[in-house]
Amino acid sequence: MSDDARKKPSAEDQPQEAGVQVDFAARRRLEKVLGGNRVSYCYQCGACVGDCPSARFYAGFNPREIMLTALLGGIDKLVAEDSIIWKCSNCYNCYERCPQDVRPVEVIIALKNLARENGAQPDEVTSIYEMIRKTGRSAPVLGTLNRKREGMGLPPLPEIDMEEIREILRPDEEDGESS
Amino acid sequence: MKAAFFPGCLIPTKYPHMELAVRRTLEPLGVEIVDLDGFSCCPDPIFFQASDKIGWLTLAARNLTIAEEAGLSIFTICSGCTGTLSEANHMLKEDAELRERVNRRLARVGREYRGTVSVRHIVALIRDEIGIECIRESVTRPLTGVRVALHYGCHLLKPSNIMNVDDPDDPQILHQLVEAIGAEPVPHGERFLCCGKACVDVDLPLEMTRTVLRSIKEAGVDCMGLICPTCFSSFDTGQLLIARKTGEKLEVPPIYYFQLLGLAQGLAPADVGLNRHRIKPLSLFEKIGVTT
Repeated sequence: MSDDARKKPSAEDQPQEAGVQVDFAARRRLEKVLGGNRVSYCYQCGACVGDCPSARFYAGFNPREIMLTALLGGIDKLVAEDSIIWKCSNCYNCYERCPQDVRPVEVIIALKNLARENGAQPDEVTSIYEMIRKTGRSAPVLGTLNRKREGMGLPPLPEIDMEEIREILRPDEEDGESS
Repeated sequence: MKAAFFPGCLIPTKYPHMELAVRRTLEPLGVEIVDLDGFSCCPDPIFFQASDKIGWLTLAARNLTIAEEAGLSIFTICSGCTGTLSEANHMLKEDAELRERVNRRLARVGREYRGTVSVRHIVALIRDEIGIECIRESVTRPLTGVRVALHYGCHLLKPSNIMNVDDPDDPQILHQLVEAIGAEPVPHGERFLCCGKACVDVDLPLEMTRTVLRSIKEAGVDCMGLICPTCFSSFDTGQLLIARKTGEKLEVPPIYYFQLLGLAQGLAPADVGLNRHRIKPLSLFEKIGVTT
């Protein structure tokens, strides 16, 4: 294959004259995360953009460009503090539209997992995550809630075995398994 | 029929009156609700999945094992729970390697995911197992002349290959449910737009909710009908935030479908918690001759 044939389309911010450099090692990091491995099927058609609500309402959000950056291995940029990936609405329209079954939303979710590893997760995301880890619920339970529920004729909230939750959330590595 | 009730987090803690509406309206439809012990958060398909994908799958699998032990399929009342549990169920059934990995974690607490139960949002269960006709038969006070703007939300329908509920580009299920209670379903221009809740941004979610609400306002309806507490919170709290920020008063009452069904089954607004709503559907009350 000639160098020309190997060229991939590039976003405005990619240097054209130097040819396209792909950081395959970085891309493999993404591909190891569940859901991140389909990015390489992306052929940049842009079907994901037309029906994307975040692209419609937020200048600068473009799922095709996120896929391109990921394809080129620009993972560090995508998982940095204040990355554009957090503007995704998780609506799954791109998943429906993609003719290549890339499932861009799943790639973005995989990137978000890497952002957490990178210590660059937005605080509001961390707080919901931690609440579920600590209480088993995504919403706070006020002391008066069960009384209120009882007054309405509703059963009390079920107990959650937090020991079980903690145990199964322990990472695989601690069992000597690969991640 | 008997089914395991998966209540989720948001409805039982923040909107218990929606749970009450579900429990009251399912009884006349012949659904026997089974409350099982031990369910946790589904967990949250947005922020938890974004933090620990394998942990997300494992917690979902644990919830599924609770229903498996009881030998009952699950019904959900929130689109987010429906999405998480359906996607996890699908992934674990399809991918043997992933299932093994998750089961190694579940084995630490003596559990095993087997893939023996199904997960459905209650609206899909009603359509497929009970029949829309049963809803019609349960109605004692049809909501005649009440115009309901439909909001399907995202996670009931998509990804469609996993959810298998309806065509996400031309869904019918909420039309049918609203028609069955004698009301008029009103499709509006932005009925497929996301509520925006998952976007980590101050303005972006409000832009989306405002666009949906303006489109509904233009359509001229008595309320908006929805089936997800997260969408509800976006449109309810969202209107407050929009008014505070821009002064725009939209005054579109969002209502959870089972509250509407309750009214149609003859319950009073307070019986289904509509007296607790910030934006009350006054023109609806007038049309069916009730007061709060």
